[in-house]
Amino acid sequence: MVKNTIATLACVLLLMISSSAQAIQQYLTSEQFLAEVYSNEPSKPQALWLNKETAKQVEKILGHAPNQMRQRYWKIGNSSAWILEEIGKEEPITAGFVVADGKIAQARILTYRESRGWEVRYPAFLKQFQGVQLQADDYLNQHIDGISGATLSVNAMVRMARLALYFDKLSRAE
Amino acid sequence: MQKKLLSLIILSMLSGHAMATSIEDKIDMLQDEIDQLKVKAAYAEKNKGGIEGFANNTTVGGYGELHYNNFSGDVPVGQTRAKDEIDFHRFVLFFGHRFNDWISFKSELELEHSNTENEGQVELEQAYLDFNFSEKLNAKAGIFLIPVGLINETHEPPTFYGVERNTIETRILPSTWWEAGVSLYGELAPGWKYQAGVTSSLAAEHFEDFSTKGVREARRNVSEAPAENFGVHGRLDYSGMPGLTVGTSVFSGNTGQDNDTLNADARLTLWDIHGRYSVDKFDLRALYAQGHLSDADKINTAFGFDEVASRFYGWYMEAAYHIWKNGEQDFAPFVRYEKWNTQADTPNNIVRNDASENDIWTVGANYWPHPQVVLKADYQKFDKPDGDKGDKRFNLGLGYMF
Repeated sequence: MVKNTIATLACVLLLMISSSAQAIQQYLTSEQFLAEVYSNEPSKPQALWLNKETAKQVEKILGHAPNQMRQRYWKIGNSSAWILEEIGKEEPITAGFVVADGKIAQARILTYRESRGWEVRYPAFLKQFQGVQLQADDYLNQHIDGISGATLSVNAMVRMARLALYFDKLSRAE
Repeated sequence: MQKKLLSLIILSMLSGHAMATSIEDKIDMLQDEIDQLKVKAAYAEKNKGGIEGFANNTTVGGYGELHYNNFSGDVPVGQTRAKDEIDFHRFVLFFGHRFNDWISFKSELELEHSNTENEGQVELEQAYLDFNFSEKLNAKAGIFLIPVGLINETHEPPTFYGVERNTIETRILPSTWWEAGVSLYGELAPGWKYQAGVTSSLAAEHFEDFSTKGVREARRNVSEAPAENFGVHGRLDYSGMPGLTVGTSVFSGNTGQDNDTLNADARLTLWDIHGRYSVDKFDLRALYAQGHLSDADKINTAFGFDEVASRFYGWYMEAAYHIWKNGEQDFAPFVRYEKWNTQADTPNNIVRNDASENDIWTVGANYWPHPQVVLKADYQKFDKPDGDKGDKRFNLGLGYMF
């Protein structure tokens, strides 16, 4: 019985190995995200430039230097949309955030590349970010409940949420 | 000279206005080019040969824990209480290597108790190839941790409360427990995760100290281990709600290993139901585990044991409250109650050991100065003396993971 099980498992494995596979999942393109957010009228992107001082603050939020000194974003009225990338465990997660009146209005996963922790794309998890604001110390004012087995992806999402709120604050100060 | 400069500036401004693309558009185009170059450069880095390519695809991590145990209270009649102990219990290094976007290698090498001269040993707890096909289907093959309970697969010190791991996942589920084999895992439906596979099994001839250690001693750690019998495992977890995980797991396999003295299947089945709910400042955990062993009477007779039981179980409940948080720092007191019986049902040829049924209250606190670094302190009160270690214990611990 055990030998049969092993043989079946080996066959399944061989079949899976022979079919080329990829762990990368794109759930939403940037265009689709923006079209959803701005009901098919994405505004022209604007650019936020970091300086020495703000780059230092970004480094504090992310725990590493910013990926770029010029961050593109989209703006309509009081809301701004940000597409950010941050490494979960080994691979970058691409996420989109909409900030309205200094609060997160929407958080979405655009592309997920890790082999574990994909639960961060569940609406129940992402809904927690709605209404979250930045405290004076640049931490979120609400606790985000984690997902066991996806801690690093959850942490990456929290860092990106903090960054989106911080960028929004800078863009409004400009 | 100044007039010339001024006219040049005006001219350049005018020509700038006349152009179809603005400076901002040009910067945009340049940024697009830079972004594409970054992707290409990252790809080239990853696929580079030699030492650089190796470094880009190889990850190193680890964890460790230092424990201080102070034993006090009663010990069984005729025994002298054990001396207090300080121990660098576990020093672990993880090595991983990604071969391409769907095949990777993961390993965990552990030095227990600081050296191999006293009680310590070097152990290869994980060494497997991971094949990532999709969210729904992945496979691992090699030496890996059996997916039972809450602690066995996630056992880094900053991830659990208390200096020592809970007793139920030590005496009933024998954590840390690894075997060699193949396992499939993935997402069944949104929120539902599964794992199922076939591995090596335990060996009945090593069911020593059963009333205090359960099936622990029968683990063979894939070290020239018998392979006449195999075990199957399965696990199902639901984690579709933030902060919540509930699930169940099972392992079942014969442990007789074709032993001529025993000449019996000695089927061991271990199962558990577990739950964890971390919501806002609360962190709650509960687990119930039970084991069934067939041919317990024959095992006792064949190997001269007098403790091997046919049914054993245990459960615990734990509640922690994150009372203080400041940036990355976190402080959480906790309380845990554990109850177990390693000889719930026994064969006729042995006499139950009174100490096999016991319980512990543990109160203490974890302090994380950083999410990956933890300082721990707790006090434990056993219902009955836990051998020569007494019925009261004060523990201090230091742990890290990276």
